[in-house]
Amino acid sequence: MTTVRLIEADQAPLLARPYYAGGDPGPIVAALAQVPELLQVALPFIGMALGPSGIDWRTKEIVIVRTSALAGCRYCVQAHTVVALDAGLTHREVAALRGELPVSELFTAARELALLRWIEIVSEGSGPVDDDARRDVLAHWADHEVVELTAVIGATLLLNRFATALGLPTSADTLDRLAREGLR
Amino acid sequence: MTDDLDTTHIAAAPAAGTVGAAVAQGLLPGRVWLYSNYHCNIACRYCLTESGPAVARRELSPAAMLETAQQARELGFTDLGITGGETFLMPAMPELLAQLSAILPVVVLTNATLFGRRLLDRIRAVAGLPVAVQISLDRPDPDPNDAMRAPGNFAKVVAAIPALVERGVTVRIATTVESIADAELDRLCVLHRGLGVPDSEHVIRPVVRRGRAVTHALGVHAAQPDLPAELTVTADGAFWSPFGPTVRDGVLDTDLLLTRTTAPLSVPANTMLALMQARPPGADSTLNIR
Repeated sequence: MTTVRLIEADQAPLLARPYYAGGDPGPIVAALAQVPELLQVALPFIGMALGPSGIDWRTKEIVIVRTSALAGCRYCVQAHTVVALDAGLTHREVAALRGELPVSELFTAARELALLRWIEIVSEGSGPVDDDARRDVLAHWADHEVVELTAVIGATLLLNRFATALGLPTSADTLDRLAREGLR
Repeated sequence: MTDDLDTTHIAAAPAAGTVGAAVAQGLLPGRVWLYSNYHCNIACRYCLTESGPAVARRELSPAAMLETAQQARELGFTDLGITGGETFLMPAMPELLAQLSAILPVVVLTNATLFGRRLLDRIRAVAGLPVAVQISLDRPDPDPNDAMRAPGNFAKVVAAIPALVERGVTVRIATTVESIADAELDRLCVLHRGLGVPDSEHVIRPVVRRGRAVTHALGVHAAQPDLPAELTVTADGAFWSPFGPTVRDGVLDTDLLLTRTTAPLSVPANTMLALMQARPPGADSTLNIR
């Protein structure tokens, strides 16, 4: 697939080098390393939005996998299918988030169902968001949680379009794991 | 009465922690380099940028160079270096050098093979100005010099140097070699003195193993700490050193890339300063790369 040059470790710009210290940083970093001043500010934001925070890991991965599936991002769905399994979601829950099973059969808690509705409204809609939709999610989640979850949806959408537009490749390790899990 | 003091000619000291303060304190080199272009009329075996007649030009416009120079001065930098590619393939170079030197003193690097009568007439524009023309001359004899550079290079250089000196242009000689025997270096110095260039204007530097030098297995390996932290602006972004924006197999090296942003110049300049401040004491090298 045609894509941008992904910067390898020996060509990592000075500001990008810390992100290569632990080995292959993945294609998102390797692409953003082309513009190190952008990488330098984007990665801390992405790390905070998508990484460990006050929102539990399971919930974060529900948001990321579902948003990515709705956005049709092959790269992010594959990468975060693996992470979601590691976060404790079941195969069937992940399959539902990916759109392969009905989510209402796998997710029954009112809080998670409200979140799934919110993800759909934020990620698929355009223009103003209906007041009833906001009232619905705020009935189940605290204000600060809605703020953070909405930011996570937004950050995921940014990465969805970035990875899809640039045709970033899924790593071989991820593809192997997906094959073993039967979720490729 | 202090109210009567005319302070318009008293330069304010740069604020602590700024690029200007770092330059004033010697923590950051004062020179900013501009890669005017990447194309060249010859193709030296050790060229950092794989320059040659057929490569992409990747030029900085004269307007961009003047704006960068102005911002460099405002930030507290003290000197400019212009390099390429062959800088005098840029049509406006003589007049541009005169304009740049009104902002900051300039050294311009050239292979000196393009100084025919018309260019020699135009280069008079920099006579007496703070402009030094740095010319590559590696050996005191044509064959070994031209083997690394180009056929006929030696003859053109030894013709151009006195022609420039006669026109009042400051000429500097740069000798780039893997090694040179004392006797050969002595003869080279006799040669440049005879051409009108004093010892004070002769620099000797090693071949750096980047660009085409890698292809030919020439030169010394140089990592970031070995290279002077001289902010370098190109059409592709800003780099740690003029030895940074090198090209290998037609692909730009990014290992010494600072930022793609070059304007405002404060973006790469402050990035470089932060990286310098993060270096442990004594982390610089003594490879004499300049």
